[in-house]
Amino acid sequence: MATQSNLQPYGHQIEEFSLNDDVDEKYSGPSLRCVLFYLDSELYGINVRKIREVLRVGNIRRVEGSAYNVLGVINVRGVIVTVVDTRLTYGLSPKSVDDVSRIIIVELDSDNIVGMMVDSVMEVKDIPEKQFESMSATKEGASRYLQGIAHYNGDVIVLIDVDNMFAGAS
Amino acid sequence: MDEEILQDFLVEAGELVEQLDEQLVELEHSPTDSDLLNAIFRGFHTIKGGAGFLGVTPLIEVCHRAENVFDKIRNGDVSYDATAADVIMRAFDVISDYIGQLNDGERELEEADQDLLAELDQLWKGEAVKPEAAAEAPTSVDEPKLSLPERVDPDGEISDDEFEALLNQRDALTGDSEEHTPKLQLPEGVDPDGEISDDEFEALLNQRDALTSADEPPADKLQLPEGVDPDGEITDDEFEALLQQRDSLQLDAEPKVETQPAPQPKPQPKPETPTPSKSTKPPAKEEKAPAKANTESTVRVDTRRLDEIMNLVGELVLVRNRLLTLKGNKQTEEDLSNAVANLDHVTTDLQSSVMKTRMQPVKKVFGRFPRVVRDLARKLGKEIELELQGEETDLDKNLVEALADPLVHLVRNSVDHGIEMPDDREQANKPRKGTVILAAEQEGDHILLSITDDGKGMDPDVLRRKAVEKGMMDEVSAGQLDDKSAFELILSAGFSTADQISDISGRGVGMDVVKNMITKLNGSIDIHSVLGEGTQIKIRVPLTLAILPTLMVSFDDDSYAIPLTSVQEIFDYDADQTNRIDGQMMVRLREKSIPLLFLQEWLNPNSNKEGFTGDKVIIVSVGNQRAGLVVDQVDGQEEVVIKPLGVMMKHLQGYAGATITGNGNIALILDLPGVVERFQ
Repeated sequence: MATQSNLQPYGHQIEEFSLNDDVDEKYSGPSLRCVLFYLDSELYGINVRKIREVLRVGNIRRVEGSAYNVLGVINVRGVIVTVVDTRLTYGLSPKSVDDVSRIIIVELDSDNIVGMMVDSVMEVKDIPEKQFESMSATKEGASRYLQGIAHYNGDVIVLIDVDNMFAGAS
Repeated sequence: MDEEILQDFLVEAGELVEQLDEQLVELEHSPTDSDLLNAIFRGFHTIKGGAGFLGVTPLIEVCHRAENVFDKIRNGDVSYDATAADVIMRAFDVISDYIGQLNDGERELEEADQDLLAELDQLWKGEAVKPEAAAEAPTSVDEPKLSLPERVDPDGEISDDEFEALLNQRDALTGDSEEHTPKLQLPEGVDPDGEISDDEFEALLNQRDALTSADEPPADKLQLPEGVDPDGEITDDEFEALLQQRDSLQLDAEPKVETQPAPQPKPQPKPETPTPSKSTKPPAKEEKAPAKANTESTVRVDTRRLDEIMNLVGELVLVRNRLLTLKGNKQTEEDLSNAVANLDHVTTDLQSSVMKTRMQPVKKVFGRFPRVVRDLARKLGKEIELELQGEETDLDKNLVEALADPLVHLVRNSVDHGIEMPDDREQANKPRKGTVILAAEQEGDHILLSITDDGKGMDPDVLRRKAVEKGMMDEVSAGQLDDKSAFELILSAGFSTADQISDISGRGVGMDVVKNMITKLNGSIDIHSVLGEGTQIKIRVPLTLAILPTLMVSFDDDSYAIPLTSVQEIFDYDADQTNRIDGQMMVRLREKSIPLLFLQEWLNPNSNKEGFTGDKVIIVSVGNQRAGLVVDQVDGQEEVVIKPLGVMMKHLQGYAGATITGNGNIALILDLPGVVERFQ
């Protein structure tokens, strides 16, 4: 994967990012802070407010009978958290876990959290709201999860609406 | 409306309503208990005060009147008879309903039923002049003076009509004793149509004080304790002190009144309606849906208990620090094991302390039953005494809430189906009054709840016949049922022996729901009945829902927990003892065939499909059937903390939750009824 060479441990990215912030005059104005992650070579973003933490992949306990895109459950400091395979949810082919795989713990509401297995987590970025295009006009189905796309520094970032993605799940 | 204050109010009011519920029923047994009367009076008063602060007018209206009536009752001016009780109960229902609505987020309450308000007023005014009350109660001399200002509630809005009417009424009453009882006058310049303001009320109060002081020795006035800010909020203590002052004043006043010259006319309020007012009241019974039990999201905890927890957490921090230093330095095995032993102690204590904060007395559930039974008994024309035993037994908060509905159902059943009509009871040589006993006790790590009645009991033959009639089983198998199994038939869906369906019970939707609810709580139901003597239903539930004794089993490396309460026995799997009947593997155990469920088949469908085998068979009971679970390995018994499975898994059949084992792995807890269903 071409992007993997850019990857650095998650924590470093945050520090680096906070130093570089605000400098970009071109992109002033209201912005949305997102955690960016990869599925294959596509870049996705989730509003950072919805994210509790990002975890390395440990033991995932399979639960027989659960939905096709559910990998199982993990123990996050005493709380049992469901982990979904984001790849399968978006109709991508399954891929085995490797060193850079991460589980993004998303807060749906105060009582419900869920883990999203992703190929790798990139960084946290402020994306100016004016860079967003709404996805409402695009095709049905997948758009349920998608809030919009942003063009940013030459990348296309797909912004995910996690509330919609897990609507009805909790 | 300030939400925070409102929430505080609702918590407090909720508790008061619970108390009042019990107290009101108790009052019917001892209608002259002055402590009880005072408590009820204060209860209504406190709710009114809070409602007034928040401006919930309809609530104030009702509370205020109820309070007035109880003021009369506790002074002995009005007696608390059945009619009064019905009116008060209805008022109480309205109050509790209002609070329920506020709890549900409703902020604009409907006006209270005018008839009810009128009846309360009648009770307050009309009953006061019952001949005996007037004759025996010299204290009522000062009643009109007291009562008028009491009507003017600083918190409530008094309508000008009401106010006018009162003034007029008063004038008429006191017409012949003008010199003794000067009138209260509205200050000039007050818009008679407007709402009464606090200042105006103050002025009226002052007037009143002036009036009363003219009449009475100054020492008799109620006095605020010194140093009390008259504009500040009144505290409970102050209120208590004032009440006591008031009560003692009245005691003091009695002899004085007696020495007063007889000719002094007693300014008694005259009834506006003729005395047989009872007949004009609408029948007090109107069936209301029982107030729905709202699950509380807060719990009250003794501060000492919190301190204890805080202390233990402090200990925990110390142990952590100890371990951290150990980690840095090269330390001996002994130091480490000391620290770990300490950690073990602290966490065990902490766990039990935290558990205790969740425990609540079963009284919280039982409290509603006196009322339920009273209302039902009156409605059905039965005479029933409800006895509560073991109310102080503590159990987990969630259980307290979860048990409420099943218990209501069972108690209603006992009252409706169990206890006979008084005449029938007499014929059967039983006391006219039936008894229902609701008891709770702790039995090891379980709570035993029992509902016992001395009613007509159940006839197992009738139950067998009904089962055949309803096509639930053929005559032969029905005949083979022992009595206990026959009684258990009533727990099946759609089974009702009531020929007449009443709106109370008998639709046959109840008992199976009760059973499901109890099963969900890992509990069991046991029915015992003797025809003609009564029925006893016993419910066993674990003390807490959070901790579950389980049997740990595993396949490959995945472990599963089976609730231990369902496990009957474990033996080695022996293929020779099994046979295939109609495609289902069965094992013979003491002359009975028990279906075998190969858990592997379901839990690990990808493993070799060729002939599932296992090492052990675990015989479990599910409802009234048994099944043998075939597993690879039995790891032993373990008490586990139940954790819910995450999102998208809450409704997965066959799992009751998950838990974290000693080595940090996740074990899934099996829900046996679900597992069995999956195999069918």
